[in-house]
Amino acid sequence: MTVPVIALRRDRPSGPAGILVGLAGPVLVALLVTALAAMVQAVTQGSISDIVLLFGINAIMVVGFQSFVGNTGIVSFGHVAFMAVGAYTAGILAVPVGLKAVVLPQLPGFLSHIELPILGTLIWGGAVAAAAALLTGVAIMRLSGAAASIATLGLLVIVNNILDHAHAVTRGPQSFYGVPQSTTFGWVFGSLIVVAALSALLKWSRAGLRARSVRDDAVAAEAAGVRRLPARLGPFMFSAFVTGVGGALYAQDLTAFSPGSFFVAQITGVLVMAIIGGLGSISGALVGATLISVLAELLRHVESGTPIGPVQVQAPLGISQAVLGVVLIVMLRWRPDGILGALELEIDPRRWRRAEGCEPADTPVPAAAPPEDMPTERTP
Amino acid sequence: MTIVIQRLLDVLSVGSTYALLALGLTLVYSVMNLINFAYGMMLVWSAFVAMVLVNAGVPTPLVLVTCVVFSALLSVAVGRVAFRPFLTAPPVTLLITSFGVELVLQYVALVIFGENPRILKVPTYLSQVYHVGGVRIPNSELTTIVTALIVVGGLYLVLNRTRFGIRIRAAAEQPEIARLMGISPGLILIAVFAISGAIAGVVGLLWFAQVGAITPRSDLDPTFKAFVAIVLGGLGNARGAVVGGLALGAIEVLLSAVLPDAALGYSDAIVFGSVIAILLWRPTGLVGVSTSL
Repeated sequence: MTVPVIALRRDRPSGPAGILVGLAGPVLVALLVTALAAMVQAVTQGSISDIVLLFGINAIMVVGFQSFVGNTGIVSFGHVAFMAVGAYTAGILAVPVGLKAVVLPQLPGFLSHIELPILGTLIWGGAVAAAAALLTGVAIMRLSGAAASIATLGLLVIVNNILDHAHAVTRGPQSFYGVPQSTTFGWVFGSLIVVAALSALLKWSRAGLRARSVRDDAVAAEAAGVRRLPARLGPFMFSAFVTGVGGALYAQDLTAFSPGSFFVAQITGVLVMAIIGGLGSISGALVGATLISVLAELLRHVESGTPIGPVQVQAPLGISQAVLGVVLIVMLRWRPDGILGALELEIDPRRWRRAEGCEPADTPVPAAAPPEDMPTERTP
Repeated sequence: MTIVIQRLLDVLSVGSTYALLALGLTLVYSVMNLINFAYGMMLVWSAFVAMVLVNAGVPTPLVLVTCVVFSALLSVAVGRVAFRPFLTAPPVTLLITSFGVELVLQYVALVIFGENPRILKVPTYLSQVYHVGGVRIPNSELTTIVTALIVVGGLYLVLNRTRFGIRIRAAAEQPEIARLMGISPGLILIAVFAISGAIAGVVGLLWFAQVGAITPRSDLDPTFKAFVAIVLGGLGNARGAVVGGLALGAIEVLLSAVLPDAALGYSDAIVFGSVIAILLWRPTGLVGVSTSL
């Protein structure tokens, strides 16, 4: 008798041990992604390490995006704003004190004497982004559906506008430079694993359940005592934190950036990755990030005209964007829930023991691969 | 007094541009719940076509007609190919689909016209300015207001005084029952996309005549303005679109008049912030009723 230890499920076993079961899956996927990235890093001898790092940062961003959109059902266009907040916060904190007089001469006193190591910048980047989410979410999270999506777009415009004009702390539209390049493979993928674990924790916690109940039926949820605003605000702040951390890593990878680096164009990748993987699933987010990153990289080669194997094709610049658009439409048409939908990878060691002892499982265990016609959780 | 009239004129001119923008967007939303991210690309395409024609020496009226027809056809084609298959999908899926459509339309424009800004040559009489009793009336503002009046009036007549318009309104209000009454949803969709595209064609010319330069990436500004206007007025509601557009224009003009110089740079942030504040006060928009034309 074979009992799958690793399974794709839409819910988790009950009890505190069940949280661990639900936690193990996304962490495993994050570990696999890390291993894959390390392998690529080793095979190419670090020659494309900037691409590998960017992939990891994107994966963090997608996990952050998913933890909000998946749990609340509100498609956010505003997450790039949190990325920007994280990036600028980290940048301000990380620029060496000596250089600050040159880069940011008008910086308020208390900031101009601070120089934090990378861990500090990541935490502060995330925290400030989460605070921004709290501040704006109190208003935006009261709206629903399309109005909420458009309000998040408004958030992006607001943040972009402020970054563009707050010369004293951001250098305005000019390039913000002088950030030390301290983002390394370890920091990116270490953060990714932590973030995936935290995101799974949120998903399987009461807070996650509340958010999803509001998503599925706001009226019924409120009748059951779940208040709409706090239920949404939690995931919003958490995802802003994760996105802010991603932004902080991005800032210390690029070392120079401007408000224009964080606008609508940045949303495309994250949105496509999250949708392809399945908006309801952290594992899906990671799978989507990996697939689209590989695709984008291949397309980049097509753009620059380098041969892929025997094929020599060259397309005009920007083809990756168009292909992403088509992939998005095709995916939504034929598999609107993405590759994994709301299915989450789970590892249940208790099943392992059962399998060894050949005891019959007390509950029927779903097959590892769900049948095609299985009803998946709808993302509204 | 003159300053008040001057501001009022500005509000009308800016507001009617936004009202037109919102009108094209809200029509489609009312029948299929689509918030079209690709809407701004219609404007860009219309302006590009105008640029090509103007550079080829085609007379202005012909340019106008061609642009409107082209934009309507493009809108119908996109609606048929990209949006029709999603007729029953949830609004979020539609919104994301339109995001994909925007990327594709933008790419094609990039390939054909390149990244660099192109200048849309405007007939000289548009830059004329009339002076009436101390009030400055630029011809471009006048043209915008008159165009908006014609389009809004025409659309009102079509929607309220023709059988065809009644069908569209029926399909928007009660899609199921409209279908039972023999109103073909496919035909309605084509009609609505055509009208929306035609309006986009007109606004595209007005918009880029004022901006001056067109790039394949200049679609976001009008799209955002249209989004804000329709949410402000009330989604899927023609009256709401007009009210929302005018309100947005009023907010912008007032802010630029009232704000101190130091804060002027932040006017975008303040505009969007106040729109969110208005939405908190009236979550269904200023006009309020959802999905009725």
